[in-house]
Amino acid sequence: MPDVGRRDFLAAGGVSLLCSLGGETVKVRSPSDVARVDAAAAALPRPAAAAKTDPVDKLRFTTPGPQPGGQRREYWIAARTVSWDVAPTGRDEWMKRRLPTKGRRTIRAFVYQEWSPGFAKPIRPARIPGPTLHAEVGDVIVVHFSNLDRKLRQAVTMHPHGVRYNPEYDGSYLGDFTRAGGFVEPEEEFTYVWEATPDSVGAWPYHDHGPNHTLNTLRGLFGAVIVREKGAPPPDVEHVLFLHSFPPQVTGFSSLFHAVNGRSFAGNTPTIRARTGQRVSLHVMGMDQNFHTFHIHGHRWRDSGGAFVDCPTLGPNETITVSFVEDNPGRWLYHCHVPPHQSSGMAGWYLVEG
Amino acid sequence: MHRSHVLVAVVAAAMLVVPAGALAQDYPPPKDPGNQSGKSRGKGRTLTVCKKGCGYRTIQKAIDAATGKDTIRVKKGRYHEGIQIVGSRYNGLKLIGDAKHPKRVLIEGKGLKGGDAQNAVLINNSDDVTVDGFYARHYKANCFFATNLEDYVLNHLVAENCGDYGVYAFNSKGGKMLNSEAYYNPDSGFYVGQTPPQAGRKKRTLVKNVTSWGNVLGFSGTNMRYTTITKSRWFNNGAGIVPNMLTSEKFWPPTGNVISNNDVFWNNFNFYPAAPFKVPQISAADLPYPVGVGILLYGSQDTLVVGNKISGNYLAGLSEIPAVHLLGDKNPKVAAAAVLRGNGVRQNEFGAGGDLNGRDIAYDGSGSGNCFSGNTVRSPTVPADGSTLVECGTANVVAPNALSEIITMGLGDPKSPDTFEAHWIKHPHPARKGVKPLERYRG
Repeated sequence: MPDVGRRDFLAAGGVSLLCSLGGETVKVRSPSDVARVDAAAAALPRPAAAAKTDPVDKLRFTTPGPQPGGQRREYWIAARTVSWDVAPTGRDEWMKRRLPTKGRRTIRAFVYQEWSPGFAKPIRPARIPGPTLHAEVGDVIVVHFSNLDRKLRQAVTMHPHGVRYNPEYDGSYLGDFTRAGGFVEPEEEFTYVWEATPDSVGAWPYHDHGPNHTLNTLRGLFGAVIVREKGAPPPDVEHVLFLHSFPPQVTGFSSLFHAVNGRSFAGNTPTIRARTGQRVSLHVMGMDQNFHTFHIHGHRWRDSGGAFVDCPTLGPNETITVSFVEDNPGRWLYHCHVPPHQSSGMAGWYLVEG
Repeated sequence: MHRSHVLVAVVAAAMLVVPAGALAQDYPPPKDPGNQSGKSRGKGRTLTVCKKGCGYRTIQKAIDAATGKDTIRVKKGRYHEGIQIVGSRYNGLKLIGDAKHPKRVLIEGKGLKGGDAQNAVLINNSDDVTVDGFYARHYKANCFFATNLEDYVLNHLVAENCGDYGVYAFNSKGGKMLNSEAYYNPDSGFYVGQTPPQAGRKKRTLVKNVTSWGNVLGFSGTNMRYTTITKSRWFNNGAGIVPNMLTSEKFWPPTGNVISNNDVFWNNFNFYPAAPFKVPQISAADLPYPVGVGILLYGSQDTLVVGNKISGNYLAGLSEIPAVHLLGDKNPKVAAAAVLRGNGVRQNEFGAGGDLNGRDIAYDGSGSGNCFSGNTVRSPTVPADGSTLVECGTANVVAPNALSEIITMGLGDPKSPDTFEAHWIKHPHPARKGVKPLERYRG
């Protein structure tokens, strides 16, 4: 595979990142810039209690419960860093080529991982993306969140899209106006409570929105929430596909990896399987600084406006849901159609049995 | 008469629950453990302690010479002293014995007098201290005691026959008790209590892979919060795991705890006739706990009991009881806190392998948000029709007379030890490797 250097990366449309921390804005152009930002994030003091000169900062909020007939959907999710191989097979099956050796494709990722109650033990492997949270309209999603990272030693959070929450459960660092859930330091725990309301139906991302969220989401600190109408059955085949990238500044490699769910290149990215006649839904989400497109060979579907499409565009943290009844068996490729993205890993297999 | 008054009258008459042994000792006064862990930074020294030929001959002398950046390594031997680690100067200190063979590093309390005789190791107001690989016994108060601090690590410890608790954390935030064993302690083998409430962000305490047997209680947690007790063995105690609400300590009620994946069996040790420890004196104001219960939630809130194996406990595998002696308290906040709220009992296996409990679950249906799902039950319940064991999301339903029945069956008079066994339903225990049932101590 051609090694994409930083110059190539920038020439190919990559951008340098801007991170603002502790009153300083850092242009993140190299791993040493990343180290600088990480050190600043680790040293960032807990926000003091806000001055509360504005009445909105004095507001207090009650914790919502489920609507009548709704459920309390409880999750225990920890954030931690792990060693993560971006392409564990070592091969790109699409272009039939060998990928960089393991040492040049294994990064320190930051992930959300599902644990058993009380954070007694992990119950799912640590992976990108984090666990998909499920709810129906009328439910509350209760996320016990713990920062179990011992490497980067930074405050992190969980910030959801799509669901309803009051400012206590926003999960966002807001400088002096930060509430408790917006700055969860290592070895601390916070419980977020989010409501699945009628306008929450759909698939949405959640992600870190702590003080170093730009870098940490690039490291993999994101996942998805799926909310359905009450009693609505799930489709026969359903997947969440995050389109994102691992830029050289963050990985320390000369190569840029574009990824689907933390993996790059067909054979490493998710291989989706379906049979003809099945209802298929793919929730595709952007989770980096790029705009992407999503194309599945041999398939068309309707967009939200009712038009048939086969290569829609999505922006950062935007979701498109691709839904159709499968009628076309065979081996198909799915990929982002932005040329440098697909050539640096943002592609995978879709296999349909007759 | 109001129901709770009837109960309180019953309870007071028969002296239910709660030894106050710990209060008799001389303890450091509680103080706010603070908001942030105060870890020492930078490189420290390693100080070595042994009986001959090292820098220090006593552990305390090494501690006196140390700061929080340092590691103190204690070589095998028998140390006759009461160790005190006090103050923020020791934030981050590591006191290391033999993690693989903790019994090779003995801290012996027998024959000591005064302050030295109280605790084998006392950590007070020193954050992030690690104590790893020690065996302590025969102290008048506690074997290992951490108080007024954050983020302690108590690992690979053996706590035998101290005056109150084996491994004890009080008024502290966060912390870990790991890979340790406690036995023959007249209050509880392990204890976490008076956890300061932490609004919003909080630090969780983890008790994992510990073994507790032959104590009055395997685990006690008075007003314990945010604590996970997991993957541990609790057997041959008077009662196994007992989070409880008392107003003798601050920050009631116990709340936000998780008891998961433990093996809780044979907690039928009737220590009143004879015990390897001095049996706590029960005053008229004290109320003895029942004998023969695996897990007892006494006035808990938002506590999850999940995935445990609970077997061979003759009175009950699991019992949920409001803090009955406080239901009629004149302080309405106390009375409200004494009620069971939001407790979940899920996916527990009762009486597996033919090792049946006398009763599996005893709960009167009082309080709100208390639910049961996915449990495997093999023995009778109280009430017998199981009407109080509602699924989550379903309103609690009180069974008339069930609370009186539950309390009555647990009552006993320390002066007549047999009374603690009057309501046991005994079943033969299948053999377990390396463990024998302890119901009466015979020396």
